[in-house]
This record gives sequence, structure tokens and C-alpha cells, in this order.
Amino acid sequence: MIVLEFRQVSKKFKQVVIAQEMNLQIRDGSFSVIFGAPGTGKSTLLRLITGLDQPDKGEIYLRGENMAKVSAADRNIGYVPQSFALYPHYSVFDNIAYPLQLMGVRRVDYTSVVEQVAQQLQITHLLQKKPDQCSGGEKQRVAIARGIVKNTKIFILDDPLTGLDFKLRERLFDDLRQMREDLGATFIYTTSDPLETLILAEDIHVLDGGQIIETGPTPQLYWQPKHVRTMQLLGFPNTNVLPGQVENGHCVVGNLRFPLEMNGNSAHAGESRVAVRPQHLQINPSSGSGFLTAPAEITLVEDLGGDLHVYLALNQTPLEALIPNTSIDLLTEGSATIGIHPRHMRVYDAASGQYIGQGRA
Amino acid sequence: MATEIRMEKLRCAFGSTVAVDDISMTFPAESVTCLLGPSGCGKTTLMRMLAGLQDPSSGEIYFGNQRVTDLTPSERNIGMVFQYPVVYRGTTLFQNVELPLKRDKSVSKTERQRRVESILESLNLKHLANEDVAALDNATRQKAAVARAVARQPQIILFDEPITNVDVNAKVQLKQALKELVKQHSQTIIYVTHDQTEAMTLADEIALMEKGKIVQRGIPGELYNNPNSRFGGWFLGNPGMNFVEHPLTTHDGGLALGAPLFRQLIRLPALQGLNSVMVGIRPERVVLGEETPQSVSGQVLRSALVIGGQYLVSVKIGAVVVKAKIARETPFEAGAIIPVNCPLPDVKLFSPSGERLDVTLT
Repeated sequence: MIVLEFRQVSKKFKQVVIAQEMNLQIRDGSFSVIFGAPGTGKSTLLRLITGLDQPDKGEIYLRGENMAKVSAADRNIGYVPQSFALYPHYSVFDNIAYPLQLMGVRRVDYTSVVEQVAQQLQITHLLQKKPDQCSGGEKQRVAIARGIVKNTKIFILDDPLTGLDFKLRERLFDDLRQMREDLGATFIYTTSDPLETLILAEDIHVLDGGQIIETGPTPQLYWQPKHVRTMQLLGFPNTNVLPGQVENGHCVVGNLRFPLEMNGNSAHAGESRVAVRPQHLQINPSSGSGFLTAPAEITLVEDLGGDLHVYLALNQTPLEALIPNTSIDLLTEGSATIGIHPRHMRVYDAASGQYIGQGRA
Repeated sequence: MATEIRMEKLRCAFGSTVAVDDISMTFPAESVTCLLGPSGCGKTTLMRMLAGLQDPSSGEIYFGNQRVTDLTPSERNIGMVFQYPVVYRGTTLFQNVELPLKRDKSVSKTERQRRVESILESLNLKHLANEDVAALDNATRQKAAVARAVARQPQIILFDEPITNVDVNAKVQLKQALKELVKQHSQTIIYVTHDQTEAMTLADEIALMEKGKIVQRGIPGELYNNPNSRFGGWFLGNPGMNFVEHPLTTHDGGLALGAPLFRQLIRLPALQGLNSVMVGIRPERVVLGEETPQSVSGQVLRSALVIGGQYLVSVKIGAVVVKAKIARETPFEAGAIIPVNCPLPDVKLFSPSGERLDVTLT
């Protein structure tokens, strides 16, 4: 079932196109991430959903109902803002209770609700404290508690983990997924962080250039992206995208040439983009294993513990590779050979960004 | 000449809060030591004391044989690079780098020119030499600040999270530049960061800090593979080590450990006074889906895509949850029952209070 729908929604914000006849569908009970680079208008999009802003054109349906004439106060959506945005002079209890106070709920009626939410988020011991007496992670929980205190099944989380240190984020990833399951609610979550998106999302909606360019379950969008921008944006380290040329069922990238397994139109020809995930770029591969090879320069090796993140230059083009940190030979800056297996090259049309096919051995 | 930094019972307290707690240690000359730890661990206070920006509550600091505890920052002959680039606006990039050298009367004008040019060259800044620093972006200004600190050739350079506030692409450039500089110059470098990747990438040695103390010091790989405490295992790694408490049982007249992570009992040498141990294993060392004599059954809770298309799989074994990071193209389905294997050479044992136990499992 669809709990939220955008139909041909257009919106400009300060002359910048945020949405251009955008269509979007959010499944009921899903953890849906709207993923886009910084500055693509994710927060504005959320304001359209909460009713704090109106679309220039098009319609928004919430729980099957057209929202055109429904005010923000009547939409019944939980909201967790980007920065904590807690009231410093209120106790944690009153911060959490605030949305209920606004709705005119009496203290005797909301006390147990606040306590229940606090218990769920394991912040009962903080209720009488002021926000300043809480750690960063605790503040985040208070902000989330305030967002979920309303009796609603739809929550909007506007990049809520941004700026937190990564050990804390690590813990909150688990918490957020669990929280959504426990509440049986729909989470509509925005971020520009690809790893956060992959870890949290059940459904991903990729926002780029005022459009949702691709939508689908997480593994599908990661492994079989239909749009080159999805492949480029959704993943860490960065996907390598190189210019290529498709002709006679083959693709040519620099000095490399490989046959293509076409997706549909086998006569397709012209300029293309060839995308390769960093884990599929081998460094000094063993010969005779079907790899296409080229000489490159290693410019930096980052030690991530379990993996090595390797930055390379192929002629002048920067490339990134991720290899397991188990190689006995120490990898250092200097010249190297890179190898790519043709089946790991996904080829896209340069003009439309649409998927054409992938290499075969 | 570069020189070592020696601290003797160095302590700094703010009221009842002890920021740096009796540290006695030597940071070796001509090498990069990264002070790594979470916010509030005392790393910045320690660095500020080395710089002379913060008076210790007690203890001594020596640069080589020279006692510097009471010296002002300018008397210590150190270079410093801060989180936010400090540049002199209204001057060119060249002048920015040259300025501290001008104050040093022992450096001739030709030598000065040569040094500035060489450092700008190695930081890839030569083409910007005559630009006003005010017109440069944040990352380039930070490079200028680095160049200025290095050009003076002080015996010691202190870096305080120098790349925290530059954007992602510039970070890589700055890291490359720093690595290159370190290679070319043989100064003693102390580098403060909360970012483990930065520390693991740039450091000769990492000094891991927790609650005002240096809890472990060693080369990056050693810290990662052989943490001497539960804290180290947790802090390094993304995610950190799994820790699972195991009761010790008596077996064949000795101590042994088994469930939940091991099917067969593993004999242990005598561990005095312990009823249980904490088993630690890194997520990337846990093996899933391969039946072995030692594997146990686990139920997949969920698989999440993480770095480089690997799956971070949460598996429930009895009452505990273990995370495994594995490279494969299809996830394990939630609910599936699969064998979970923790290879013994990758298992580290810790006491219930979190210290590493010197025990090899066979």
C-alpha cells in the first residue's frame, strides 16, 4: 500500500528547481530513504510533505487523501529535525511533550505517553535533565522521542545523524531500524550519505536534478542501478565512471575494448559512461584471469583496518579501489597495474544516463 | 634537527575533571605519532601542553634534553597547524609561508626563497604563490598553513585535526600532501585526530587515548589487530570488534570455554580468579555459511550493505548477536539458519573488565 504519493509535483525554492513534475511513492510501513547529494533540495521536499511549504504545481496524497487543503497541524506526521533543535530551558520531559502540548493534550493524559516513549528509547533517566546536561547521542534520542511522541505512523527524519561522531552513528543505525520495526511505522528519511542510506533503507529513492531518477529496494539499486547517477552516488568508496564509446556490440574505454551484453536494443551505439565499483578494481591482478589491465599510479593508500582504500590515477583520471587488508605485500604509493573484469563494467548511455548493458568475457 | 618529546607524569586537571592523567611517555624523533581518541579523551589538552598553550597541573615536558615545561610557545621552536587555517589575509600565499622565516635572522634571503619555493612545489601550490590568501578556498588555505609550519623547519610540528574542516575531496589531497611532506622532511610530528582512518593512514605510531590516559601505543596494524583492551577493539574498526561474554567451565581438570560461539570446548591455561572471559573478534574475521567442527548455528537477523558492497550480517546465536562483514553479491536472507565460525587465530580474549588476556587459543 502507498502511504505517501507525489503526483507531478513541481517546486522552486529561491529560483532553484527542487522538483520538476516529480513522482514519488512511499510504501506503507517501509524505511524509505530519499537520497541525494547535498543541495538537491531534500529538506524542501520534506517541508512539502509536512505542509510547511506548498508545491507550485502537482498534488501530494497522504494516506490516500489529497493534502492541498490540509494544514500542517492536521497532517499528523512525526518530525525529527536535522539539528537537535531542543529547547534549552525546558527539561527533557517537556521537550518530548511539546508536540502534545501544542495539540492541547492535558498533562495528566500525556505523562504516561512521554514516559513510555522515553522507556522505548532508554532515556527515562534523563527526563528531568536539561538538554545541555545530555551527551550528543542522548540529545539525538530526545529529538527522536519528541518526533515519535505523537500517535502517528508516519515519521519524517531530516538527516538526523549528520554531524554525530561515527561510533555513535554506528549504534544509532541499529536503533533506528529497530525503532521503525517496533513502531510498525513508515520512516521517510533523508541523507546525502551513501553508507547511511545503504545500511538503513529498505527502499531508496534517488533524488537528482529535481527528479526521483530511480526507486527500488536497496540491493537492487546497489547491484543493478538503471541510471548512471545512481551507480555513481550510491556507494562508498566512489564508483569509477569513465567515458567510453559503444559500437558493434563492443565498448571501448581508453585502450581497453570488451564485448557487451546488451540490455534490449542491441544496435545501440555512441558515447557512453562505463561504471566500475571500487571493489571490482583489482590491483596487480594475477595474469590469465580474464582481466583487462592498464598501468596506473597509486597516489594514496588509506588504511581502514579491514580494508584498504586505494586512490589511483589512470593517466590523469582519478580512480578508487577497495581491497581487503590481508595482502602480505605492503601496498604503497607508486606505479601499479589495475585489472577489471569485463563483467564488472556497467555501461550507460552518455546522454540519457540509462543502462545499456554490461561487459562479458 | 628533529628531537624526541618526553613527558614525565604529565597531568592537567580542570577543577575535578582530569583531562590528562599522569602520562609518562616518549614520542620518538623524526616520526609521526597520532594521538587518537574520542572527543573528551584529553588528546587536545595534551597537545596544548606540548605547545605551551596550556600549563600542566604537574609533571614535566622535555624536547630532547631540554626541559621546556615553563617555556612560552614561541620559545619552544615548534610549528603548529590548527583545525581552522590561520592565514594572514591581505598577503599572498608566498608571503604567508615566508613570514615566519623572515623573523629568523639566521636564514639568508636566498635560502628563504628556496625553502618557500620548494615547499610550495611539493604541496602543489606553486601556481597560486602570488594569489591573495583571502581569495583561496578553505582547503588551500589549510595547505598554506601546513606549508608555513613546515618551511620554518622547526624540530617539532603539532597538528590539531588539520583536515577535519575541509570537504571530502580536499581531504584526500591534503592527506596526500601531508604524507609526501612527512616523507621529505624528518621532523617530529604529533598529529591529533578523532578519525581512525586518518590516524591509520598517516601515523608511524598511534597513541590511543581514553579518559586522559594513553591506553595503547603501536604501529597502526598492531593496534587494529591486537588491541590490548576492549576499548581499543571497539574504537578502531567500523563497526568495532564483537564482544561476547563466555562463562568458563571446568573440563579435564582445567578451564575451558565453549558456548555460545564454539561448538567444542577449548582448553585454556589457568586464568586465576576469572569465572568468565570476553571473546573478541573483528566482524571481517567471522566466517558465515561454512560448516566446521567448531562452527555453531546462528539465525540471520538482517544483512545490510556497507563499504565496498560487503554485507554486514547480524546473526543471533542463542542470546547473543554477532556481526560479520563479508564480501558476496547476494545477502543471507533474514531468518536463515547458517553455520557461524570464529577462527581461533582471530579470536582475542579479554577479562570481564576489558583488559586483554595473554592467551593463544588452539
